[in-house]
Amino acid sequence: MAEQHTVTDSKHKASSNTGGSLSGNSRPSAAGGGGGGGGLSGGLTQPAGWQSLLSFTILFLAWLAGFSSRLFAVIRFESIIHEFDPWFNYRSTHHLTTNGFYEFLNWFDERAWYPLGRIVGGTVYPGLMVTAGLIHYRPDVHLHLPADAGALEPGAGLLAACFIAIVPGYISRSVAGSFDNEGIAIFALQFTYYLWVKSVKTGSVFWTIGCCLSYFYMVSAWGGYVFIINLIPLHVFVLLLMQRYSRRVYIAYSTFYIIGLVLSMQIPFVGFQPIRTSEHMAAAGVFALLQAYAFLQYLKDRLTKQEFQTLFFLGVSMAAGVVFLTVIYLTYTGYIAPWSGRFYSLWDTGYAKIHIPIIASVSEHQPTTWVSFFFDLHILVCTFPAGLWFCIKNINDERVFVALYAISAVYFAGVMVRLMLTLTPVVCMLSAIAFSNVFQHYLGDDTKRENPPAEDSSDEDDKRNSGNLYDKAGKVRKHVSEQEKAEEGLGPNIKSIVTMLMLMLLMMFAVHCTWVTSNAYSSPSVVLASYNHDGTRNILDDFREAYYWLRQNTDEHARVMSWWDYGYQIAGMANRTTLVDNNTWNNSHIALVGKAMSSNESAAYQIMQSLDVDYVLIIFGGVIGYSGDDINKFLWMVRIAEGEHPKDIRESDYFTPQGEFRVDKAGSPTLLNCLMYKMSYYRFGEMQLDFRTPPGFDRTRNAEIGNKDIKFKHLEEAFTSEHWLVRIYKVKKLENREPLDHKPRITSLSAKQKYTSKKTAKRKRGYIKNKLVLKKGKKLNKKSV
Amino acid sequence: MPRTALYSLCLVLFAGLFCIGTADVSLVNEEVKRTVDLSTHLAKITAEVLLSNQGESAVHSFVVALEPDLAPHLAYIGVSVKGEEEEDSNLELKETTVKDHSGKFFQVQLPSALAGGSKLRVQVETVFSHVLRPFPTHITQAERQLVVFQGNHYWYSPYPTRSQTTRVRLASKTVESYTKLGNPSKSDEIIEYGPFRDIAPYTQDAMKIHYENNTPFLTISSITRTIEVSHWGNIAVEETIDLRHTGAFLKGPFSRYDYQRQSDSGISSVKSFKTILPASAQDVYYRDEIGNISTSHLLVLEDSVEVEVRPRFPLFGGWKTHYIIGYNLPSYEYLYTLGDQYALKMRLVDHVYDDQVIDFLTVKLILPEGARNIHMDTPYPIDRSPDQLHYTYLDTFGRPVLVATKSNLVEQHIQDVVVHYTFNKILMLQEPLLVVGAFYILFFTVIIYVRLDFSITKDPAAEVRMKVASITEQVLTLVNKRLGLYRHLDEVVNRYKQSRDTGALNSGRKTLEAEHRTLTNDIASLQARLKAEGSDLADKVGEVQKLDGQVKELVCRSCQEAERLVAGKVKKEAYIESEKTLANRRQELISRIDSLLDAL
Repeated sequence: MAEQHTVTDSKHKASSNTGGSLSGNSRPSAAGGGGGGGGLSGGLTQPAGWQSLLSFTILFLAWLAGFSSRLFAVIRFESIIHEFDPWFNYRSTHHLTTNGFYEFLNWFDERAWYPLGRIVGGTVYPGLMVTAGLIHYRPDVHLHLPADAGALEPGAGLLAACFIAIVPGYISRSVAGSFDNEGIAIFALQFTYYLWVKSVKTGSVFWTIGCCLSYFYMVSAWGGYVFIINLIPLHVFVLLLMQRYSRRVYIAYSTFYIIGLVLSMQIPFVGFQPIRTSEHMAAAGVFALLQAYAFLQYLKDRLTKQEFQTLFFLGVSMAAGVVFLTVIYLTYTGYIAPWSGRFYSLWDTGYAKIHIPIIASVSEHQPTTWVSFFFDLHILVCTFPAGLWFCIKNINDERVFVALYAISAVYFAGVMVRLMLTLTPVVCMLSAIAFSNVFQHYLGDDTKRENPPAEDSSDEDDKRNSGNLYDKAGKVRKHVSEQEKAEEGLGPNIKSIVTMLMLMLLMMFAVHCTWVTSNAYSSPSVVLASYNHDGTRNILDDFREAYYWLRQNTDEHARVMSWWDYGYQIAGMANRTTLVDNNTWNNSHIALVGKAMSSNESAAYQIMQSLDVDYVLIIFGGVIGYSGDDINKFLWMVRIAEGEHPKDIRESDYFTPQGEFRVDKAGSPTLLNCLMYKMSYYRFGEMQLDFRTPPGFDRTRNAEIGNKDIKFKHLEEAFTSEHWLVRIYKVKKLENREPLDHKPRITSLSAKQKYTSKKTAKRKRGYIKNKLVLKKGKKLNKKSV
Repeated sequence: MPRTALYSLCLVLFAGLFCIGTADVSLVNEEVKRTVDLSTHLAKITAEVLLSNQGESAVHSFVVALEPDLAPHLAYIGVSVKGEEEEDSNLELKETTVKDHSGKFFQVQLPSALAGGSKLRVQVETVFSHVLRPFPTHITQAERQLVVFQGNHYWYSPYPTRSQTTRVRLASKTVESYTKLGNPSKSDEIIEYGPFRDIAPYTQDAMKIHYENNTPFLTISSITRTIEVSHWGNIAVEETIDLRHTGAFLKGPFSRYDYQRQSDSGISSVKSFKTILPASAQDVYYRDEIGNISTSHLLVLEDSVEVEVRPRFPLFGGWKTHYIIGYNLPSYEYLYTLGDQYALKMRLVDHVYDDQVIDFLTVKLILPEGARNIHMDTPYPIDRSPDQLHYTYLDTFGRPVLVATKSNLVEQHIQDVVVHYTFNKILMLQEPLLVVGAFYILFFTVIIYVRLDFSITKDPAAEVRMKVASITEQVLTLVNKRLGLYRHLDEVVNRYKQSRDTGALNSGRKTLEAEHRTLTNDIASLQARLKAEGSDLADKVGEVQKLDGQVKELVCRSCQEAERLVAGKVKKEAYIESEKTLANRRQELISRIDSLLDAL
């Protein structure tokens, strides 16, 4: 409760302060990324220092609020890594800290993707691990990082900092316990953008180099760096179109492209991609264009207008044609890889479902619903267009960037839930602008002094440093003393009503954020909690129970087959070899596992034999009503398996003739006899959960299961967790040959010999019973073989 | 020290002279009551022996022998004298050898010499671990666990025994088979052998009992107990435990359904056990490599803290688990000090579960940084490894770590160890000073960085701007102060109008004059400085000064008016009228000043 107070409190202060400061210096903070830092530095040089103290306090409070709301998870559960992916990050960080950096880069993980293995060093973004390794990894210590990121956010001033500290959309990935790439990547992303804006504004190589280093960090942290490398060229391109070319842009972009390119190629996983894949070609094209444009500008000074025009058209059309043809040619000859499937799925939401079911099977890759927009951003989703409009109203170089960022991020967030993350910071920023504008009108009393019109950024820069800023404290003081006289236009009632409304909105936002954070994003997926009638909490720790059983009581080199969702967790918690994991690089391998799961037992046994599987792990939620279990994911397994083995697996076989997916008696016989079904419901048919339902009643699917008499021939139950959530089966070794039904044919027709013990004194020579007689001298005809 | 050494040397000599020789012939076991307790997974064999000295010379010691089969499994042996009075403390034991006989032998030193013809009742307590063999070795979940015990019917002793009984206590009524020497009687869980008469020394006769035993066959295969002492009032204890079920192995599947629905399914498995921690234990945690184990309960009792430790999964035969349990203790209960001398008295090994067996124990005692002259008194011999250094937060030269190991321990080994060391109390300040120093350096660096100019190029314009800014700031404060003076005078005038105290008015006016003059002068000097900096703001300040002069005039005039009013020279209406105009003009001037200041 106290914490909540802090949040609202800090916000309150922040808003009033931002209102004041923005009006004072012609809204420099509206310049997107550049503002917050600038205002702060301006404040620091001020002798009075009140402003800097205030803003520092507010930033600190925002940081504190952000930090503590991220700690919900730790307080309500414990400091444990929540999701699936972070377990891999944890494991590789562990490897990094114990074996050193070079060993980490060369790490070949033979415990994943059995029997293929995985070259971890070359297929991972090492940023997070290195960062964590530097903070000498301890999960609890490390998790401070995302919160830091939240506070360091160079937003549109303090209000933005407050927003971003608590907004759920960002918290979802940076909550304590989610040890994930995104936690640091978003910070890197924002910092890169901030430095980029700064370098465009100043045109100094220094800031651009800073921007490149930050970009390097971003590349090392997250695959989302592609967003940067496309957005920045887009910005430059739009600036060119808007006739806003300047030397500053030229310096910034040329430096950024070259150095950023070289740096990004240092990451082993990225390697030569920046010059070989289509995703990066836009940057190269803009680079060429910028060079050409600059050259033309240079020529413009030397030539007459007539000459220049002809040259211009010729040059531009030639350049465009050459670039286009080169790209086509290089793509065609294979030097440049065409767009990857994940990329296509960004443009066509239906693409993944048809071509790459494995991407579509991840819930994070689904298109975002309106509900989740509101859930993650709450009121900001409404105020953010207003902020965008305020931003566009006074356009300059930086604001173009903010606008582009906002628009593209909105699009991507709409396509994939996961990309909501990139949208969140810009929404916070623009909403902060909107709010501060409103407060400026309704809370501030100095509206009568018209804002000096926003001019070019360089002017603005100068203005910020001019004496204009310094007398503000005095002014504010004086005007407060004579406030009543300064009113004009708006009645005090309207003012106070609007202000109250705004504050209410902000308050509700804070409450919503706290609620969402504590309820939705702080529950680890590894540990489930249920509540009894009297309100006490029951912790269902089945996942760890089973994983720990695997860790302790199976052979160290045992191979565990499971659906890929649990691969990282098995590797991290159970420390056993897995067949497939969340790094879904090999589709056919996953399809093979999917095929094993969806075949009948004997066919599956063959696959499992060929893959050397010792244990099979499945998740079954029928007892407690856990909906994320393997039967509910089963259709994806079938689909992925069908993609690779269309002859053996057909999705339609698993549906009833009416096209339903049912587990009860009406379900299709193929489903009722496939391995996944049998493993899930083994002995479940005997189990009566309560008196109202028949035995074998599946609570997740609300159906009585159709196949209650399940017997295994090649598998045996090895472990089932307390609430049946995780079931582990042991794959039996090949049995001795089955006894024949009929009597074996007796080939030796001679009378039965009397058994003579070998221990008798006279040792007889041994012989082989029923030995095959080899006929010599006959050669097989080779053609017939 | 040297005294004990000499003493033990004497003992050895003594043993060499007597034991192996014939002196012990004079001793006879008059009556032996043997109890073999097999109700847990340990074999606890207790024998009450009535020793009698048949010879003439006094005997100072006697020998306790263990069967060669059981001897390697010996975890604990203790001998005490049983008299009429309170049970005596344990007697001193010394391992020795006997010619021509295998097994383990201990020389027991008697508290007082046993004269010829006298008798003494002693109690020999032995505990053997891992002597109950599961048979069959692999069982399914539904089966019960059967174990075999192989021992000796007789009291294995170097002396002849006159009469002996053996009572065997089992874990359950179900007995598959047992050796039937001397037609033993069996009632419920107890088998009584004997009495046997006149048994020669070193007689062995194999006793074999095959019975059902579903008690938890838990073994701690290794435990590392880390005790970290802090002089700031805390002792942190952490135990890393590897636990294994050493009963019959589970054969075939583990069915959760059967386990949940049938009460006797997996009867030999271990679901949970209780660990008793010291009463002052706080902040207890119970976790493993993958986080907190949520299936445990903590019960704070009056004299102890009870943790119900429930492993993540039930332990069946052959299954193992690994966990960490830790807690904090206040140091005043365990740490004793006298000047620079410190003594830590703690349990070398603590309770984990009832009838515990520890295969291998490692104790690490981390003393504070700077502890010297470390000396460790252990209750029983223990292997010391070379000392180590431990580094944690704010450590510079490392904390000394005492490492000791011992194998095969049971409950009887829960005893106190005492560690003496000296520690200079000044060293307590080291860590806070380090922090203070670090912050001092940080702030100092920031101060230096902010105060000094490190730029390569000079920017005169910026400097001038900054100077001007600071001057204007000062001007603003001064002007505001000056305006405040007028307001103050207004109040004085108002009071004067009521009280008609001319003295107060005059003094008020005088102070105004004086302060106003100094302020005006200050502003003028600032204006001059502004001019020197070449700023056009100087003109504006000049204008402000001019306007201020007018304001002052107005104030003075209103003051005079008031005087006249009080003196009765003007009518009230006229005064109000003139006051109004004056106030209006003043307001106008002030707002002009404000606008000028705004433009600064």
